[in-house]
Amino acid sequence: MVYIYKQIKFKFFELLPLLLLFFISLNGNSIIGLKYFSINIHYILVYYWVLRRPRALGYGFIFLSGIISDVVFGLPLGINALSLLIIAGTAAYVRVVTVRVTLINDWISFIPALLIANFVYFLSLYFSNYSVDYLFLFKNSVFTFIFYPILWGIFSLILNLTKS
Amino acid sequence: METSREDFGIAVRSAFLAKGTKQRFSLFVLIILSIIFLFAETIETKPLNYLRSFIKDTIYRGSLVVSIPFKSFDNIVENINKHMNLYNSYSKLKIENDELKNNISKSDFLELENTQLKKLIEEQVSSSSNLVSARIMLDKQSPYLNSLIINIGSNKNIENGMAVLDGKNFIGRIVDVNFFSSRVLLVSDLNSKISVISEPSAHHAILTGHGENVLSLEYLPENHNIKDGDKVYTSGKEGIFSPGIPVGVVKIEKNIVTVSLFSDLSQITFVNVNLEDLEKDK
Repeated sequence: MVYIYKQIKFKFFELLPLLLLFFISLNGNSIIGLKYFSINIHYILVYYWVLRRPRALGYGFIFLSGIISDVVFGLPLGINALSLLIIAGTAAYVRVVTVRVTLINDWISFIPALLIANFVYFLSLYFSNYSVDYLFLFKNSVFTFIFYPILWGIFSLILNLTKS
Repeated sequence: METSREDFGIAVRSAFLAKGTKQRFSLFVLIILSIIFLFAETIETKPLNYLRSFIKDTIYRGSLVVSIPFKSFDNIVENINKHMNLYNSYSKLKIENDELKNNISKSDFLELENTQLKKLIEEQVSSSSNLVSARIMLDKQSPYLNSLIINIGSNKNIENGMAVLDGKNFIGRIVDVNFFSSRVLLVSDLNSKISVISEPSAHHAILTGHGENVLSLEYLPENHNIKDGDKVYTSGKEGIFSPGIPVGVVKIEKNIVTVSLFSDLSQITFVNVNLEDLEKDK
């Protein structure tokens, strides 16, 4: 009984990142808009899990989740998928070149990931003739970066639960 | 130097081309697929449109199901707040009711006068409005697109460009039609620009959204005499919307002309889609 319970708990925490990924895209919570700023939790989720436990989030699922976000937000199909895959690609590159896992390393390497992904996002919107609020995009990038450590802590907790 | 360049190449190849454990696709393949999707968005063919409609309809239904617990929670919170404010609301409504009673007689007279004047200029008095009602399925406010999803689409003859009303007030237009759902671009969106006319000052202008609830009037004549409290209606000048649909009321603050909408965009459950223009075309 205890073994079954442990197995269920393990499976649940192992599947949690995937469930979160689809939940936030289907529920339209990829970008949490607060009064003065907004945070892109979709980016943080993909970046963290691809960096730490790539088998928890398949690239195919990331692509699918991006397509769902595009449909829910009414953007041309492929924009979110492309930027999420760019984030995943940067995380995969960082994983290959780094040995030690620290918050500071992750946090600093998140900067180029954010910059490239948002640049691709902006370009795709621009060429799709969508008006873009540049200030919003800038503020969103800054606050997503600032809030990274908080979500890093939460995700690390989940990761530890799957290990234990 | 060359070794570090080689290392970089190996790392990039490993990240983008190699398939990890439990990965069915490499990142490179999926990135190319995303770019193909993006380009496919610009191609308008029947099979592609059907595929897009099918994908969107399916995802909207999925999203609707996922958001049910949150909607229920929001409804509970709203109901609790309503109950807490019951006494205040009652007092306000009582005052409003007295004012309305006083205004009714005045309004009846104005309506009669208006009908007589319209007859005088041989305008069509009774417009054969052709509205279809729809329920809002999703109102996920994207930071890049202020829009709503409604539960009718090509199955109810909805077409792109049709005006969407909250009661009789203009709130947006149809921008994307699927089989059983459509997307409404709200007037508050950055991409929304509609031609309007102010009343009684009778100035034509373009109503522009800024992603927030306050909209602005652009391209007003230099010596306009628009005043605080003037009403704004669709002018129909662009040939898409019927003229005279109420939109909002003018507010002037520090010489900046803004418009606040008659409808609260966050409180809409049902909308009407105006099929009139479609019927005219037919």
